[in-house]
Amino acid sequence: MSANDTMDSPHDGNLIAAEYVLGVLSAAERREVERRLVGEPALASEVALWEERLIGLTDAVVPVAPPDAVWSRVERAIGTVASPPSVWQSLTFWRNLAIASATVAAASIAALVYIGLVPGARVPLMATLSSIAGQPNFVASVTATGNTLVIVPAALLTNDPRAYELWLIPTGETRPRSLGLIQPGQPIRLDIPSDLAGQVTPDATLAVSVEPPGGSPTGLPTGPVIAAGKLTNM
Amino acid sequence: MDAEPSRGQLAAALMRVAAGDGAALRMVYQDTSAKLFGVCLRILNDKSEAEDVLQDVYVTVWRKAAGFDPGRASPITWLVAIARNRAIDRLRSSAVTRRTEPIEAAGAVSDPAPAAAERVELAQQHQRLTRCLEELETQHSAAIRAAFLDGATYEELAQRMGVPLGTMKSWIRRGLLKLRACLEG
Repeated sequence: MSANDTMDSPHDGNLIAAEYVLGVLSAAERREVERRLVGEPALASEVALWEERLIGLTDAVVPVAPPDAVWSRVERAIGTVASPPSVWQSLTFWRNLAIASATVAAASIAALVYIGLVPGARVPLMATLSSIAGQPNFVASVTATGNTLVIVPAALLTNDPRAYELWLIPTGETRPRSLGLIQPGQPIRLDIPSDLAGQVTPDATLAVSVEPPGGSPTGLPTGPVIAAGKLTNM
Repeated sequence: MDAEPSRGQLAAALMRVAAGDGAALRMVYQDTSAKLFGVCLRILNDKSEAEDVLQDVYVTVWRKAAGFDPGRASPITWLVAIARNRAIDRLRSSAVTRRTEPIEAAGAVSDPAPAAAERVELAQQHQRLTRCLEELETQHSAAIRAAFLDGATYEELAQRMGVPLGTMKSWIRRGLLKLRACLEG
């Protein structure tokens, strides 16, 4: 402790709130502040203000996707399983889906070329599958007969060991139907199951979720949905 | 997801969480877990500890979402505060390896490029913070950044920057006062 420590006490201008938010206090001091927060709305307001003032500092932190197991642990801890179908009706999910970019254009051309290799292909249905943030991740094209589908990655997802499962949500429905596993690093052609062929129509939705190796064990998406988009007529 | 969801979307999702909607919690998790995990990792410097804290954070969000007041805090600020508080408490209570590397004042100032899709309002608010931090003495702003990002105590910061404890307290408190004046000015 230096002799010129003129600002050590008392706390100037309610800086205890700032110090609490900043994180420089000891465990005992933090508990003391938290005890006061319960009965001192002014201090609580000051803490909230400092949290808002300093939040921009977290821009310097690189986001890191946590392992999928963490979400499973959260679900177990809260004793409820977040039902996947609700995700499809979610408020955020269907926004920001339309973004054009060079990668999408390239993937679209690739998807058309690949579908063009399918015998008897006519004017296809296409979909751009984007993340919630609007990042286009896949482009899919479907033959007009509705029984073959080609999906081409538009974003770089190569070397990811996880399984990616493609889902169809028929028009007017919320329950996803699996179309099978796809490759994040390369175009893949899938035969659409005959019982679903009639439901691969304009306005039906395609979506991709991240699943355990081998695909969803439940028949419904269990991992994060990383991309989705509606089929449209070319 | 690489871009931050909008404030309105997150706030609405949190209100659904408060009503017991598990799917809404899942959405909040999908939209924010990478940021919060990054925050926890930075503080704890230990993957396993950060995973434990992250789980605890979303369980807390589930139980306390009703306490989120959209008129008072932005949702991401509320979530980051929970994550930082949990991570700092874990840091204080456990044998997590403390950072001891010196803080380079110049290095600590450089931020990675902000996400391209960052909302304009948020960007302006953050630019203002950056500008105000730049007005502080370099060592003061470096100490404030290190404290916030690493969750270090005054003692640890003093050790890492090689100054007496009193000097560190003085730097940070003067820095905070000047920062507040600048942000409110």
